[in-house]
Amino acid sequence: MFFFILTNNNSNKMFFLFILFFSTLISISSNSWFGCWIGLEINLLSFIPLISNSKNLLSVETSLKYFLTQSLASINFLFMILIKFSLLKNFDMNNIISIMMNSSLLMKMGSAPFHFWFPNIVEGLSWMNNFMLMTWQKISPMILLSYYFNKNFLIFMIIMNLIIGSLGGLNQTSLRKLLAFSSINNLGWMIFSIMISENLWLFYFLIYSMMIFMMISLFFLMNMYFMNQLFINNMNFFIKMNLLINFLSLGGLPPFMGFMPKWIIINFLLINKFYFLTFIFMMTSLIIIYYYIRIIYSSFMFNYFKMKWMNLFMKNNMFLINLSSFISISSMILSTFIFM
Amino acid sequence: MMKFLFMMIFMIPLCFMKNMFWLVQMMLFFMMFLFMNLNLNIMCFFNMSYMSYCDIISFGLILLSIWICSLMIMASESLFKLNFYFNFFLFNVIFLLIMLYLTFSVLNLLLFYFFFEASLIPTLLLIIGWGYQPERIQAGMYLLFYTLFGSLPLLMGIIYIFNDLNTMTIYFLKFFNMNMYLLYISMIFAFLVKMPMYFVHLWLPKAHVEAPVSGSMILAGIMLKLGGYGLLRVMIFLQEVNLKLNYIWIIISLVGGLFISMKCFCQVDMKSLIAYSSVAHMSMVIGGIMVMNYWGFIGSYILMISHGLCSSGMFCLANINYERLHSRSLYINSGMMNFMPSMSLWWFLLLSSNMAAPPSLNLLGEISLINSLVSWSNISMILLMMISFFSAGYSLYLYSYIQHGKYFQGLYSFYVWFISWVFIIIFALISFKYDNFKGWFYFYLILNKK
Repeated sequence: MFFFILTNNNSNKMFFLFILFFSTLISISSNSWFGCWIGLEINLLSFIPLISNSKNLLSVETSLKYFLTQSLASINFLFMILIKFSLLKNFDMNNIISIMMNSSLLMKMGSAPFHFWFPNIVEGLSWMNNFMLMTWQKISPMILLSYYFNKNFLIFMIIMNLIIGSLGGLNQTSLRKLLAFSSINNLGWMIFSIMISENLWLFYFLIYSMMIFMMISLFFLMNMYFMNQLFINNMNFFIKMNLLINFLSLGGLPPFMGFMPKWIIINFLLINKFYFLTFIFMMTSLIIIYYYIRIIYSSFMFNYFKMKWMNLFMKNNMFLINLSSFISISSMILSTFIFM
Repeated sequence: MMKFLFMMIFMIPLCFMKNMFWLVQMMLFFMMFLFMNLNLNIMCFFNMSYMSYCDIISFGLILLSIWICSLMIMASESLFKLNFYFNFFLFNVIFLLIMLYLTFSVLNLLLFYFFFEASLIPTLLLIIGWGYQPERIQAGMYLLFYTLFGSLPLLMGIIYIFNDLNTMTIYFLKFFNMNMYLLYISMIFAFLVKMPMYFVHLWLPKAHVEAPVSGSMILAGIMLKLGGYGLLRVMIFLQEVNLKLNYIWIIISLVGGLFISMKCFCQVDMKSLIAYSSVAHMSMVIGGIMVMNYWGFIGSYILMISHGLCSSGMFCLANINYERLHSRSLYINSGMMNFMPSMSLWWFLLLSSNMAAPPSLNLLGEISLINSLVSWSNISMILLMMISFFSAGYSLYLYSYIQHGKYFQGLYSFYVWFISWVFIIIFALISFKYDNFKGWFYFYLILNKK
């Protein structure tokens, strides 16, 4: 993200990027709920200048939509905090208040059933802004969720996340929306990991953001936004294999890196006897793999009609691309060396 | 056992060098020879190390997979001649071989699952990358999704077992009794889809037909046997539920085998016929494993090995015809005896093995399976009689339609050439029976004792 801002002559946005990072830290490390709310507000205020670009009408509209939804969620959160402070003596209200606070945080994250803004906004942002939205912006709502969550409510939300994330992506052709729905699905996995332990959430989140980073940087370098663009251009063999490996890894297939967080979460699901929930986790991940494979047909088939003149110039980045493929393939094996 | 793993891993850089196609294939033959000379002990696990072991079942299946992988490379010579990404093809084959080798030789049940799933990825790449028709996309999807749908509950079952028993070593599973219905279904379903059993067999005709010759050989040869191997390992700790519920799978697979054998007579595509005959053979294998007899166990193992050799050989022969006539249809491939009489010898030998004629290994397997299934219930005699009869029927149907008769008038000319490796398959078919004579002799002794 730093390189993107520096190289695109947008160094005035670096200021907002730093404030974005600090706002998350404020939100996570505060002692009272007011501090959390302030962190969330600063987060919103510093993300808006990063995504808005006054020369592009779609960008302006996107940032306005983002502002409206996120501020609605923040106000809801503030209101629930105040109700919680004033009704402290009445413990019967704990259920309702925790549900309301969790709902506002879920809306901040873009989780179902408050997800309708998420694919819309993702369609209007560039790839690097999408990366920030899908990874960094989820940190503070998730950690706040872990401080005061309602287990039954969250399990219901997890199921909705999984189903909407998997079924919603079936009819999409825009790569950004596909990654948005896959992000909603992965939110389901992450919310469950929050309920187990924060350490586990951190593990899943780090591996997920690493995989998303590899994929988004590949699409960014190729400047691809739609599925049909994958079939037109003349991709070099290593780029094709990288695309294949990254998507299969994100889907959670062995032997790639993405299998490991899913395996560990299934382990904890079964320890805590959530048998039916595990079944839903598995079957929705099958649907997700279906639409990932639709995207990577272009890399499976070695000879298809492509335009000879559309060459991708990616010589400078080949090292990073090869390295990321190598990491995705071999991390499962290398991880056994770490734990010995 | 690590020595073979390292040999395979270090063959990978060799795949990417120039003009190393035949060297890789020769090295796989060499590895087969090295592996055959391990000290074989029938009664127990041998060559145990920290994470790998060898049992009589694993030994035979690993040997079969190395053999078929080397034959796959030999059969795909046209990829090398036409320069169609053969480096990546070699890498795919070696990667698949590593995954299969590890599947059959790790001690940990979760690692078995890991490599079982991981062997799907190179197979998918082979089918979609080097297949011949545009229908291969749908075939790849069917393969991936049928198998994944079955094996995700298997992952759940394995992790449940770990949480309960705190061990995943395959050797220790026989000391436990986990008799729960839901666990039983989740563990077995994956292997039944992979075998395949009748109702979930739909991926197999698609995947076998659309795959290139190497893909078909490995699918028919080994990938189906992964299901059989899994069943053989997993049923040990589920014995009471097995005794109560196995009749369902036996009935489905035997009746299904009957229906599939009859469907073989309606096929026009050669490869489709061989694929359906694979389902029919595997239905008997499932029946044999599920009856929980010793004869059934041994018979299914022998039928798995022999079917692997026989089916791969037939797919290779079908490809030889396809390369020359560019069609797999029975209407066009007729009267081949006029052009390639030596080839009709190989067709006959392999098809006679397919129908379990003496002295092939299939005969031994089928006789053991018939014994075990009839000892389970006398009524299965009818089904087995019909399955064996129809398998003879469609094998002869295939043979006579391809070889006899007048040839198709639209043929101009084609290359009449004879590849000598099929001879080695036949040799293997017979030699597996007589070469390791001591080993099989012990088998007979033990069978008679029980």
